[in-house]
Amino acid sequence: MKNKIAHAPTITTILLLVAMLCLAARGYPQRSLGAFELDETELYAMTKQVSQFFSRFNNEEDQFGKKYHPQNPEFRNPEKRRIILPLLFDNENKRTSGTLKDFFVEDLVGKGKGNYLEFLGGRWYSEVAATFLHQGREVNIILFLMIEKENLGSKWVLTNVYYPEFNKLFPKGELAEREKHFLHPMSHELDFMNIYKAFNHAQVIDFYASKEFQPDYLTLFFAEIKAGRMKFKSVDHLKFHIFQIRDWYFEVSYLNRKGTNTGWLITNLVYMTDKEKPAFIKLYEPWLRLDQH
Amino acid sequence: MDKHLVTRTFRSMFLILLVAALTLGGSTGCKSKKKLAREKAAAEYAARVDQAKKDLNAILNDETTWTLKEKEQRVKTIKNWNLDDSEVLELIDRVEDKLARERAEAERKAEEERLRAEEEARLKAETSKYGNLEGMLRSVASSPDFATANDRISQTLQLFATPDVPVLIIISQAGGFNDYDRPTTIRKYLDYLKDQKNFNNRIEQVKYDSNGKITELELIKR
Amino acid sequence: MKHIIIIIIAALALTTSVKAQDELSPERKQAIDSLALEKVRDLSKYVSIIGNKNTPWSEANRVIDRAEELFMAGAEIGVSSLARTDIFYYKVRTYFERLMRLNYDRVEIEWYKIEYVSDLQRQPDGTYVGVITIFQRFSGYDQEGGLVYQDTTKKDITVYVKRKETQIGGRMIGFWDVLLGDIRVKETSS
Repeated sequence: MKNKIAHAPTITTILLLVAMLCLAARGYPQRSLGAFELDETELYAMTKQVSQFFSRFNNEEDQFGKKYHPQNPEFRNPEKRRIILPLLFDNENKRTSGTLKDFFVEDLVGKGKGNYLEFLGGRWYSEVAATFLHQGREVNIILFLMIEKENLGSKWVLTNVYYPEFNKLFPKGELAEREKHFLHPMSHELDFMNIYKAFNHAQVIDFYASKEFQPDYLTLFFAEIKAGRMKFKSVDHLKFHIFQIRDWYFEVSYLNRKGTNTGWLITNLVYMTDKEKPAFIKLYEPWLRLDQH
Repeated sequence: MDKHLVTRTFRSMFLILLVAALTLGGSTGCKSKKKLAREKAAAEYAARVDQAKKDLNAILNDETTWTLKEKEQRVKTIKNWNLDDSEVLELIDRVEDKLARERAEAERKAEEERLRAEEEARLKAETSKYGNLEGMLRSVASSPDFATANDRISQTLQLFATPDVPVLIIISQAGGFNDYDRPTTIRKYLDYLKDQKNFNNRIEQVKYDSNGKITELELIKR
Repeated sequence: MKHIIIIIIAALALTTSVKAQDELSPERKQAIDSLALEKVRDLSKYVSIIGNKNTPWSEANRVIDRAEELFMAGAEIGVSSLARTDIFYYKVRTYFERLMRLNYDRVEIEWYKIEYVSDLQRQPDGTYVGVITIFQRFSGYDQEGGLVYQDTTKKDITVYVKRKETQIGGRMIGFWDVLLGDIRVKETSS
């Protein structure tokens, strides 16, 4: 990360741009849906789709939301990005409205690869907070999904789930406690007659597994669904975790509120080197090997 | 014989004298005329250099009211003067550059204009060719109410072989071939015009049967 | 003439997607975007006609049919409001029929001039999928002309675009089949 912020956009430029986005509402020449004069200012400013978030982030569209031709000099223009990017942050959040944001923008408009968001570029994940009925009881479960390429296109696939009940099943356990539970190395000579002890203490059965063992919560979840013990009820909340930008991690969520700082915006920003990322990405893509990416 | 010699000598002397007189007298007279001519030429040259600079600068700065052709003619004239003045030569270079650009632009504009006129003529011919049908489609789209629209639809359908005549709509001709919207039928298309109240297509092609009824309608998005 | 219809129907049924074109030129993409947007505008117009209390019953029913034809089979409309964040699911037809029978004396459906078209992404079978966002203001009035209900909703409309071919009058016509899919209707604070 560079320390110097050479041309950080002033608040004036930002205000000007907001004004520009707002003015776009008036006199935009096209066949309209209706003949009514409604105030569209806020709707123009709103980042209306995640798609638009990507498009604004890369500066691939004009203030009316019309895509630039890739040959157009405005397309991905760094100076325009310098102005547009700060508008994509939740400005009511300390983490996303201060100096860290300025550093982020500075890193993005500088030269270098990996500074554009790519839909099919991987390392961005969806977090869906949902309600399920687990054995008749309403529970909150978080589903993680990612885009996976397949045949001619791509699709969202489930990668992991977070359900505290599942985690409780596999406590790390005190080392002293763990050391009490094992099958001695000569058990085989006794036809594993002692193995029944492992199953006597259901709570610690996993201590008898290899140190390589990793509980797979998605499998557990599928098993519950298949057994009919878990039923889907509703999607409650949605956000995105984006690790695509070099040395940064950020979250994007939908802010449904009044004003011009609305829609899909960056609601969390963390400086995180690419070396540190795999440890975090494991939650979203558990089979990811640490040497990947 | 002597007399002859004397005459000859005298004649020679006379000739010499004459030549001498002519040479002397003539040379003094010629000198003053030449000087005048030279001065005149120099003044003329200076005036031309001056004029050339003035004209060339004017052309460069777009301060003339001359047409492109007149400007080119002017540069040609100036070049014919063969002025050996570094500033003029440089100006000629620059003006020639500028005029070449203007010429190129003018040629493109003329071609553009020619094409536009051609297209306009073609469009006009087509519009009048299909004017009646287009007018009817438009009138369905601009009907004030459902009843009027339904009347107009019935009228329009008379022009068609059946209400199921296919209607094709070209949405793009990018890449040199036609991309269409999903094919529909004239019945549905007329209903569409009635509901949407908007006819934003142009008639591209109409096919008729032996009874003069339409069997296929091809439209193109404006 | 009848055979032409049969050919169209048969060809429509037999059409296959063309897998050859992997990358669309920006120009063609734009033409497809416009086509998709036009279908959404068509839908908005149909919604206005269906919601209008002055529309004759027979016409409203016909328009419901036409509106339904814009959609893929099985498409649903998921509605939530600021007060009730639960999503209510409606089949497309049910949604339109409810709209026709709304218990207001007069209904005003206004569409904001703003539309947003996402990038088209391909799904595994090669069909392009996009989302078009539009905004609507709905106002319901009672007999005395008093405003009894009003909301502004954001409608995110799925659009499927598939390249197909059909034979008409002896020639092959390559066309883009645009069908609308699920719609998410969300009340906004704006």
